[in-house]
Amino acid sequence: MIRRLLFTYPATISLGLVALVFVVDLCLPLGVASAVPYTFAVLLALSARPWWFGPAVAALCGVLTFLKMGLVPERGTTEMWKVIVNRCLALFSITMTTLLGLLRRKAAAERARAEEQVRVHQADLAHVGRLTLLGQLAAGLAHELNQPLAAVCLQADIAARQAEPGAPVQPELKGILAEIADQSSRAAEIVRSIRRMARRAEPVTDPIDVNEVARSVAGLLDWHAGRSNVTLRLDLGEAAGPIYGDRIQVEQVLFNLVQNAIESIAERGSGPRTVTVSTSTGPDGATVTVRDTGTGLTDPDRVFERFYTTKPNGMGMGLAISKSIIEAHGGHMRAIDTVDGAEFWFTLPVARKEGS
Amino acid sequence: MTADPTIFVVDDDEGVRRALTSAGGLLGHPVRGFPSAHEFLNAYQPSQPGCLVLDIKMPGMTGLELQRKLADDGVNIPIVMISGHADVRIAVEAMTLGAVTLLEKPFRLEELLAHVRKAVDKDRADREVQNKSASVAARLNALTPKEREVLDMIAAGKTNRAMADELSLSVRAVEDRRARLMKKVGAHSVAELVRLLGPL
Repeated sequence: MIRRLLFTYPATISLGLVALVFVVDLCLPLGVASAVPYTFAVLLALSARPWWFGPAVAALCGVLTFLKMGLVPERGTTEMWKVIVNRCLALFSITMTTLLGLLRRKAAAERARAEEQVRVHQADLAHVGRLTLLGQLAAGLAHELNQPLAAVCLQADIAARQAEPGAPVQPELKGILAEIADQSSRAAEIVRSIRRMARRAEPVTDPIDVNEVARSVAGLLDWHAGRSNVTLRLDLGEAAGPIYGDRIQVEQVLFNLVQNAIESIAERGSGPRTVTVSTSTGPDGATVTVRDTGTGLTDPDRVFERFYTTKPNGMGMGLAISKSIIEAHGGHMRAIDTVDGAEFWFTLPVARKEGS
Repeated sequence: MTADPTIFVVDDDEGVRRALTSAGGLLGHPVRGFPSAHEFLNAYQPSQPGCLVLDIKMPGMTGLELQRKLADDGVNIPIVMISGHADVRIAVEAMTLGAVTLLEKPFRLEELLAHVRKAVDKDRADREVQNKSASVAARLNALTPKEREVLDMIAAGKTNRAMADELSLSVRAVEDRRARLMKKVGAHSVAELVRLLGPL
């Protein structure tokens, strides 16, 4: 509680502290080292914004330390030199506190900048991964987009025929127009999902629903699965608690896993052909599992290594990028070779309570 | 089975299938839509005249596989192929297997209707030829071996006298046999007789 208050209003509290120390200092005889507590006020002021607030408070404390000597000259039995040494020591500790505080602040800023850079690099890498995925899916997506367009084109021509001048207005016309609108928004939804995947976005932290992520990935890959004669099954648990992260990146991870699963089954000639995506939520966070009945993993420990691939045209980056995304979200990712295929799962922790 | 030609539509995409069936309905023929090749095969009777509008890319059995299966089974229903994106290899394969045409999505209504109309006409013509040759074959089978002998000689361009000599018969007997077989086959002249034999 006090800690929270100190972090929320450091400037106000530090100024209040300065005033308090000054008043107490005025009430005590000169011999008492009552100026030393100023250092606490300075320490607190250093955590406030802007950066110069700390040094300014320190300067104020220095001035007040010596001002006291002028205001209350009563020094009892203490010799003058002891009083001066006493005040100088207070000034020294205020100055040292200020310097150390400024150094720490600078180091913290640098660390934050470095972390930010890592985050941006990771996001760039994720973006490249997404573009590669999109490239592989381009033909399928074009086909997917052509379906509603074909429907719209035909229905519009049919409507135009019915709307010939002189022709009686058919009751179906309304239905045809509604169908055109439906198919157009279906096309727009496909375009939106492509754009979402292709966008080069700054990493963001938003509340995400893993079930929604699973549904949207299934929508994107349904056609791909159908073409390889693979059934894509969703087994969604209760909606997860407050999970924060970058939705596009998490989507990308799941996309990657499901696509690999489909390809692995396509390689296998016979047997069951099912990819199951399941989600579940526990007290610690959400778990997403992708299980397939494909060729399995020859070396489950190496799949996340960079440049490790078993595909003829693979780059070996997909899973490496996926793992780095999940770890950046504070989660874990594992791969297991099962009796009839492979299983990948990753966790996303519930949001940690942070002050920032 | 109805004599009215039916337009069969096979496309896995619900929106496209709805559009294709409404478009087909404009031609005044009954239209039946199927979401997969298997469902079409279960419902289709080869004796049913009509044509097939078929999507190439479908989960399960693809359009090309269905086309090949129909060809293997000796069913030659005319097929209007439609495809999401034209791939030269696929187009060549579809046309080689005898598709009437290959339309690339999206296409216009007039284009589709023109090809469907052509396909229905082709089916009608094919069936007419088939019926005719079937009936001619039946009539020829009804001939006795002796009549058949005379028929072959007529086709070879021999005169009645030459035939009489060859078969050691009187010219009169040859003429009788010839009149009988002309009546059985249903031909009024030698020219018509030869034309009927033509396609066999």
